[in-house]
Amino acid sequence: MIQKKICMLGSFAVGKTSLVRRFVESIFSDKYLTTVGVKIDKKVVRVNAVEANLVLWDLYGDDDFQKIRWTHFRGAAGYLLVADGTRRATFEKAILLEERARAEIGPVPFVFVSNKCDLTAEWEFDSTIEAQIAAKGWATLRTSAKTGEGVDEAFAKLAGKMLG
Amino acid sequence: MADTSKSRPVNEPEDDASSSGSDSYEELRHLILAPEQEALERLHERINNPDLRTEDVSGVVAEAIERRRELGGSDALSDALAPTIETALRESVRKDPSTLADALFPVMGPAIRRSILETLRSFLDSFNQILDQSLSWQGLKWRMEALRTGRSFTEVALLHSLVFRVEQVFLIHKKTGLPIAHAVATAVAMQDPSLVSGMLSAIQDFVRDSFHTGQGQGVNRMNVGDLDVWVENGPYAILAVVIRGIAPRSLRQRMDETLEKIHADYAEQLASYEGDSAPFTNVHQELTECLEAKFKEETRPGGYGYALAAGAILLVLVGGWLGWRSWQYYRWSQLAETLGNQPGLAITSFGREHGHFEIRGLRDPLAADPNKIVADSGLDPAKAEFHWGAYYALDDTLIEQRAIAALAPPPGVRLAVKDGVLHVDGNPSAKWLADVRSRGLLIPGIRSLDLGQFTPEQIAFNEARARIQAVVIRFPVASSELSSAERVNLRNIMPVFKEMMSFPVPAHATMSIEVVGHSDNTGAESLNENLSQRRADRITLQLVQFGIPVVALHAKGVATAEPVRPEVNEENRQYNRSTTFRILVPAASQP
Repeated sequence: MIQKKICMLGSFAVGKTSLVRRFVESIFSDKYLTTVGVKIDKKVVRVNAVEANLVLWDLYGDDDFQKIRWTHFRGAAGYLLVADGTRRATFEKAILLEERARAEIGPVPFVFVSNKCDLTAEWEFDSTIEAQIAAKGWATLRTSAKTGEGVDEAFAKLAGKMLG
Repeated sequence: MADTSKSRPVNEPEDDASSSGSDSYEELRHLILAPEQEALERLHERINNPDLRTEDVSGVVAEAIERRRELGGSDALSDALAPTIETALRESVRKDPSTLADALFPVMGPAIRRSILETLRSFLDSFNQILDQSLSWQGLKWRMEALRTGRSFTEVALLHSLVFRVEQVFLIHKKTGLPIAHAVATAVAMQDPSLVSGMLSAIQDFVRDSFHTGQGQGVNRMNVGDLDVWVENGPYAILAVVIRGIAPRSLRQRMDETLEKIHADYAEQLASYEGDSAPFTNVHQELTECLEAKFKEETRPGGYGYALAAGAILLVLVGGWLGWRSWQYYRWSQLAETLGNQPGLAITSFGREHGHFEIRGLRDPLAADPNKIVADSGLDPAKAEFHWGAYYALDDTLIEQRAIAALAPPPGVRLAVKDGVLHVDGNPSAKWLADVRSRGLLIPGIRSLDLGQFTPEQIAFNEARARIQAVVIRFPVASSELSSAERVNLRNIMPVFKEMMSFPVPAHATMSIEVVGHSDNTGAESLNENLSQRRADRITLQLVQFGIPVVALHAKGVATAEPVRPEVNEENRQYNRSTTFRILVPAASQP
């Protein structure tokens, strides 16, 4: 079976861990995140009749107090770049993170997700941002860890890009 | 050139034309060919000039090597370069060792440090272990085993320390933290290998980051309860084993070897690993072997065998000894009982003291010899010590013996004791009976005398009978003629006959006198029978003539059957040519 390491990348509190929890049943407690800086889960997905074992590394951070351990990022075959649709700043952070990721491990497939799409009233990702995303040519999706909307699709899309 | 001269224009003056034509041709030639010519010359120069060629190659050598590596087949390149590099290294060391030493210093330091640390830790581990064990019950047990088997305690302790089990083996891709292969022992509860692998490598990274150690270093041992996780780092992969119990240091070496072998066999696959474990299917076998080879039975077979055998032998010996002792005791106590049952022996105490049996009791002087009884029973008399006190036993048999010893009954007289009463049987003399009457009651154990049948009449009768039965009437050879001398003898005894028959003893009523005729043992037996019968008849007749009632007489010839005396000489033989008397009193009418 093909195995792939994928990482969750995004600002603090954009909902990375919630997305993972939506996607898989965890065996490790979230406590690992704050101690070792990473929590690992796995999920078997099927892409074009090929079974793949996705090993999800949910990286802790990144905010001003907690730096991402980029060593954990090493060896990732792809990643979900997560931003909080209700906070414009997380998009800018995502751009920086993508650049940093590229510098760390080179160009690998990733999918940009705008999380918390259930909070339409507070939505800040306007057409300007959407235009920027389109200009970058990023694969993108709206997700909601709360309702589960787009979550499976986001992972499937990333798997498709990695295995395709 | 001939063609050229031929084609030369005729109108041109020979010399001028020739020279100017030649110049222009040269010019033309120069114009046309000069660049190529120069290039050719430069090429020529380049090929023949080593300096220039070196310069050329130097410009592309790095790219060439790079290109070769990209095209694959880097082995050939390595092979080609290896000898040169080796020679160069040797040469460098020969010239100035410090250059290479300086260069290697950052590598050597950690390597040596790690090696020393490993050794020290292994030493400390086993030292602590031995210290622990020497103070425990197990330690004592091992010490006994060491004594028994003649091995050193350390050896025994180490032997027992090798109780462990490798439960899981992970081959983890270093860069991605993905499990390339995983082997697990039977019946081991486990988490998903990809998660465990991920966490293991994350922890490695975490520790490396946190303590700023080098890339080649990391956690190589984690300990949780009796679970040990040993980690070996390779360039591309990590080998991690989960051990339950205490594994020997040699496992570390085995891990090293396995990891090295995997790196050697799968160098390219490891370098280009991208999550596809298919090329590594055979690695699983190697991990499994590693797993199986590390199983170890807790106890060596036969470990307790000797102890058990020794214990069993000891038990048998002790049991046997105790059994033998009890058997001996039983036999001696039986013997003591037998002795106690003997007339004249009374046992008062029986016991074992200092390996001897001590038997105390009373012994009648006439009782059987106890030592003989011991010997007859098959026991060793030397094992026993007798302490006898003397006494008179009141057993009838002993009283009887005592009476016989004291009273010395004459022949034909029998003594018997029953319930302390002395009975006399036979034909005792009046004198002897008087002796019995005077001394009989003095014999210990005799309570009374039963001499009732010995009335004065009876005694007189007995004496008369004895006298008559002692008479032998002799005859000449082969004759039944009664000589006058013998007739006189017969007549002389007649008063005794008559006295005997006159006693008012009840027995007399049925008393009969048997006249027994004898012969010597010469001549035919038929003649002797006839002769002896005639002799009996002759005397019977004579007795009738002397006045004895004929009904009381019975003549009987016995020939040589009942000789009066053994015929050892002529005198004795003469006694057998005779007639004797037997006074018969029927048993029923005996007093």
